Amino acid sequence: MKTSAAEIIQEYGPFPGAEQVHGVTFDGHHVWFASGDKINAFDPASGQTVRAIDVAAHAGTAFDGQHLFQIAENRIQKIDIKTGRVVATIPSPGNGGDSGLAWAEGSLWVGQHRGRKIHQIDPDTGAILRTIDSNRVVTGVTWVDGELWHGTWEGNESDVRRIDPKTGDVLESLEMPQGMGVSGLESDGGDRFFCGGGSTGKVRAVRRPKR
Amino acid sequence: MDSMITAAARALATGDVLGALKRVALREDAPALALRGIAMAQLGDFDRAKPLLRRAARGFGAKEAVARARCVVAEAEIALVSRDLGWPAKALDVARETLEAHGDRINAAHARTLQVRRLLLIGHLDEAEHALAGLDATTFPPAWKAAHELVVAGIAMRRLRIGIARAALGRAERAARLASIPALTAEVDSASLILNTPAARLIARGEERPLLLADVETLFASKTLVVDACRYVVRDARGVVSLATRPVLFALARALGEAWPDDVSRDTLVARAFRAKHADESHRARLRVEIGRLRKALRPLADVSATKQGFKLAPRRARDMMVLARPVDEEHGTVLAFLADGESWSSSALALALGASQRTVQRALDELATDGKVQSYGRARARRWMTQPLPGYTTTLLLPGPLPSD
Repeated sequence: MKTSAAEIIQEYGPFPGAEQVHGVTFDGHHVWFASGDKINAFDPASGQTVRAIDVAAHAGTAFDGQHLFQIAENRIQKIDIKTGRVVATIPSPGNGGDSGLAWAEGSLWVGQHRGRKIHQIDPDTGAILRTIDSNRVVTGVTWVDGELWHGTWEGNESDVRRIDPKTGDVLESLEMPQGMGVSGLESDGGDRFFCGGGSTGKVRAVRRPKR
Repeated sequence: MDSMITAAARALATGDVLGALKRVALREDAPALALRGIAMAQLGDFDRAKPLLRRAARGFGAKEAVARARCVVAEAEIALVSRDLGWPAKALDVARETLEAHGDRINAAHARTLQVRRLLLIGHLDEAEHALAGLDATTFPPAWKAAHELVVAGIAMRRLRIGIARAALGRAERAARLASIPALTAEVDSASLILNTPAARLIARGEERPLLLADVETLFASKTLVVDACRYVVRDARGVVSLATRPVLFALARALGEAWPDDVSRDTLVARAFRAKHADESHRARLRVEIGRLRKALRPLADVSATKQGFKLAPRRARDMMVLARPVDEEHGTVLAFLADGESWSSSALALALGASQRTVQRALDELATDGKVQSYGRARARRWMTQPLPGYTTTLLLPGPLPSD
């Protein structure tokens, strides 16, 4: 396993009216983050908030190109990004113990926090297709270029790590500075990860190592 | 944090305790146990809250030291509010250090305030004052600031520094209003009431009037010899003679003090000191002995001189003399006098000091407790007694958020 220090490129927030960051996603233009009772969008170029959707938002957030997926309590809400309306709801695989959420290849990937697992589920039914075991608590999940990454955060220690989607083996770890946690994770498809900063109310951009 | 914990924590933060419980009722992981513990404490069910928090503290991993420490602080606060002092203070100290080391300043300060409140509750005023000095409340959130100022006021009132107490209560009131916690505002109000309620009765030259705590402070600082029947001492601005273990001498001093500048007849003194209706020769002989003892005891402050029909007091330095009594003269005054110092006493220590049997003291304490004049905490041999609470130990729980992401 390759370990290196996470390089923080930029910090956004804290944003007014959003005390905590629970989940993060990216729609190609804006970064969306869950802050409890709404999902907020900001422009990563300017850091300005551009929009908010009032909906229960307690953990992971994901985007499939048209819809936002948002974990609230023990369910996953499918939200039309244009209207902000919840169009469907499926049960979450961790029954409320769910933490991170990502969209990839037609499936949703859900982190189960203390269960130390990542579930691949059917976005229409919520059926579990397979489960990957991690050896740390999972706080955020994202896919980029065929790589599966997830965040961990235990006490003062936190990192962003790439794992083998078949075995769960840790391949690479970007360690966050002491006391800086990752509460949600999303790749921008390029060389940046957006990381939720939990109770700091911040979102941080972390550099993805070059191949 | 996971989804349901976030939802439960949000519910708890907005006062929806049952909503929070509903979401984590069936979960046994550490964050859920911690939330359940805090929720049960907020509902006043301390017996359920304590084991939940203890299990939560154990359940948090070695890396989650802050979450664990917060559970310990919450458990300590519950113990304090329920007056259970068998709780190990050492664990709270360790938790405070952990919180400080991890930069959780507010909860570390909260832990220290709990330590001070505990010291106050067990009557260790000096230590409480010392520990309080290490706290800077200026950056506390309003609720914590209010609790802190109540402690400051509580110590100041016990020390009869009323100006300081009044200022602290003023700050407590503003902070409590900012925090908008009704229970906390009520605590501050009842504490302020103490300053505006007669704390004692002044008897001088046959006349009586009620005194506020602030008047008592002024009186003690004045050039007056005070025969203090609240504390069973005789004092002037420069010295104090305690007669708490010598009730006969105190009864004589009080009778002489009430009559000053006149003298008191032997018959009256015999009646007051020995509760005898008629003074016979043996009483007069005994009176001579006791007056001799009183003269010796009071020598630094006053002289006891014989007159034609009895005795009178003459202050050495003081220009005036007054008697300070409890607002209502009551039974068991000597017991209350010992408790008036704000310290906590075991019934056996009181019995020893009073020279009475433990059973007599216990009966007195039980009666006083029934009248709400004293309170006890602890059980069996660890039971301690104090006068009714002055401010300083609020019963409002402020409780740290138990979770690391709070």
